[in-house]
Amino acid sequence: MTHLGLNVQAGFIAQTWDAIMGVLFNLPSLTLEFLRVNAKPLIQVIILPGLVFILVFAIIAVWFERKFLARAMLRVGPYYCGKRSGVLQVFADFLKLFMKEIIVPKDMDFMFFAAMPVLVSTLPAMAMILIPWDSNWVLWDIGSMSLPMFFAIAGLAPLLPIFAGWAANNKYSFIGAFRVAYMYISAEIPLVICAAAVAIMAGSFDLLKIVEAQQSMWFAVPQFIGFAIFFLGVIIESERTPFDIPVAEVELVFGWRTEYSGILFGFTMMAEYVLFQAWTLMFITLYLGGFNGPVILGMTTASHIFWLLAKFVVLVVFIILIRCVFPRLRLDQMLHLGWRTLTPLAVLNLAIVLALKMLGVY
Amino acid sequence: MTEPMIKPDVMRISWGPQHPMSGQTRILLDVDGEKVHKIIADLGFTHRGIEKILENRTFFQGIIPIERMVMADTANIGLSYIMAIEKALGIEVPERANWIRSLVCEMARINSHLYAFGLQAESTGYFPAVFLWTTTDRTVLLDLFEELTGARWSYNFFMPGGVHKDLPEGFEAKVIKGVEYLRRRFEDYWVAMVENAVFETRCDGLAVLKPEDAIRLGATGPVLRGSGVPMDTRKDEPYAAYGDLNFDVITEPACDVMARTKVRYKEIGESLKIMEQVANEIPGGEISTKTSPFVRPKQSAEVMSRVETARGEIGIHMFTEAAPNPYRVKINSPTLRNMYVFERMAELSEILMADIPVVINSIDPWYLDSDR
Repeated sequence: MTHLGLNVQAGFIAQTWDAIMGVLFNLPSLTLEFLRVNAKPLIQVIILPGLVFILVFAIIAVWFERKFLARAMLRVGPYYCGKRSGVLQVFADFLKLFMKEIIVPKDMDFMFFAAMPVLVSTLPAMAMILIPWDSNWVLWDIGSMSLPMFFAIAGLAPLLPIFAGWAANNKYSFIGAFRVAYMYISAEIPLVICAAAVAIMAGSFDLLKIVEAQQSMWFAVPQFIGFAIFFLGVIIESERTPFDIPVAEVELVFGWRTEYSGILFGFTMMAEYVLFQAWTLMFITLYLGGFNGPVILGMTTASHIFWLLAKFVVLVVFIILIRCVFPRLRLDQMLHLGWRTLTPLAVLNLAIVLALKMLGVY
Repeated sequence: MTEPMIKPDVMRISWGPQHPMSGQTRILLDVDGEKVHKIIADLGFTHRGIEKILENRTFFQGIIPIERMVMADTANIGLSYIMAIEKALGIEVPERANWIRSLVCEMARINSHLYAFGLQAESTGYFPAVFLWTTTDRTVLLDLFEELTGARWSYNFFMPGGVHKDLPEGFEAKVIKGVEYLRRRFEDYWVAMVENAVFETRCDGLAVLKPEDAIRLGATGPVLRGSGVPMDTRKDEPYAAYGDLNFDVITEPACDVMARTKVRYKEIGESLKIMEQVANEIPGGEISTKTSPFVRPKQSAEVMSRVETARGEIGIHMFTEAAPNPYRVKINSPTLRNMYVFERMAELSEILMADIPVVINSIDPWYLDSDR
């Protein structure tokens, strides 16, 4: 066998066998050891900032949005699935989407087409692991890299609809994709300037330090302009009414998602809620004091997680409320808002923060 | 339909018939980015040959197919055909029947305008509140229709010589109650929709149609009155009881989409006023002059009747000979006239892709009407 470049020794097979059997015999104890050492990260990945939280939030938010908006529209909403409450309707819809055929349009780039919905819902989920839920409940604690890293990951999100719209080879998808490009660029620049102002005021790019700096007063008070801009930015980034311009149903069928069917469409719907979740949590962390709040019953970590969740729920309900009050803006009006109103105001906000810093207030 | 050549650097988009908002029509758009260069309306997807059907039926049988032209506004469409028959046959209508006709026509007008109003809201992406509010509030009118005519939607209530049934007992009080309810709701619509900041941004100064253009292109109904031209067949050439009723012709000077929306909004107010007047002041007497369903004219005649429907003026041009069915009926439908105006909108003012549903719903199209 030496002519093949393989040097097979006599005891090789026996050694390998021993190694495999050793692992197999010790598997239960090794597993327990692995779980004991990695208990906290595993819980974090699976439960709190991770999978269960994202999915449960998406299910509750979809149900709440349907039921709540139905009341505003003078109807009852989902009714028959789940004993008149419509809770099971979400699962029924998921099953339906899962069972459906994925229709593949002719002359399209399948790899791009199929990969984008999956990426578009997982990338914002990756950004979410940076959010601190307590000083010792951060899944990915990278110190002063955390705020830039959030924008780096979330900044990739608009790229994916553009690829998806291009790959689908459909005129509506194409127009929708370019609307995404226009909209995100005009919205993200004021957002980054606002985030920079927050970092300057806190004196750090570390999200944990930003939260700690808000113990006495939330940044929403001294930086009210930035607070308002970032609030609009959250709605824009998560493509919700009145800024759901890229998927405007009455104009563009469903924008860049037109050609998606079955579970791929389900993924794009999921992405909407994951984005919503990631940006709302970021908004709370930057302006509404993050996890800060009175400690309940001496359990610091639990009460911090509770306060962040409570703020999150209130904000989500408020943003969903907006949907039944406003029509949709046109793209040029949105760009006008982004470039001529939000960007100058963001710079003004930055100037105010710098002035406060120079005067020594912060 | 022959499709004209398109310019280079321009993308042609088929807006409909497979589209969530288009309805049963196809509109070809030449777009450069978001800007629309040219609009081509490709009508005829729902052509049912109503004019031909009318030739093969007796005068009375024709009432049923012609009401299918606009289901939201059956009373006004049906009245135009019935008035043509009455002119051709020389039938007199009692005064009370005329007042009941006016009442039903105004109720149908509100019904149709409510639908248009809801679609206008939906076309700006304002789906949640207003579209379903208007749909829900229509049930008030539908209940009144049901009590009066026996049907909620297609009530073949008018007939040559009068109406089928007299008002039921206590109907006037119910009309007044319905009018009060709708007035209360309309205050909500004004706040929720017309004065909504984002709706104003979307609709103000959009698709401006100057009065001279509106007249030149043959606009009619709320589109014409939204351009500031006070023209209403109910005032210009009173039919039914409109000569005795007190109401105003609504015009708006702004000439844009918002003006057309406001014209509809205020016209509903005028219609409510008419309903109230009819309920309070309706004269007594007969409700119809007896006419045989198998009536046939003695000699040939050529008649024309004009009625102001919710979408504008409908014209029925009818030739009759000594036969139990009309020789030829030509229908000049309001949606078709307004669609010509819509096709020119991109040349008259700048329209973006996102404005297309808003602009087309501002003319309140009903494609079954334009295709006949």
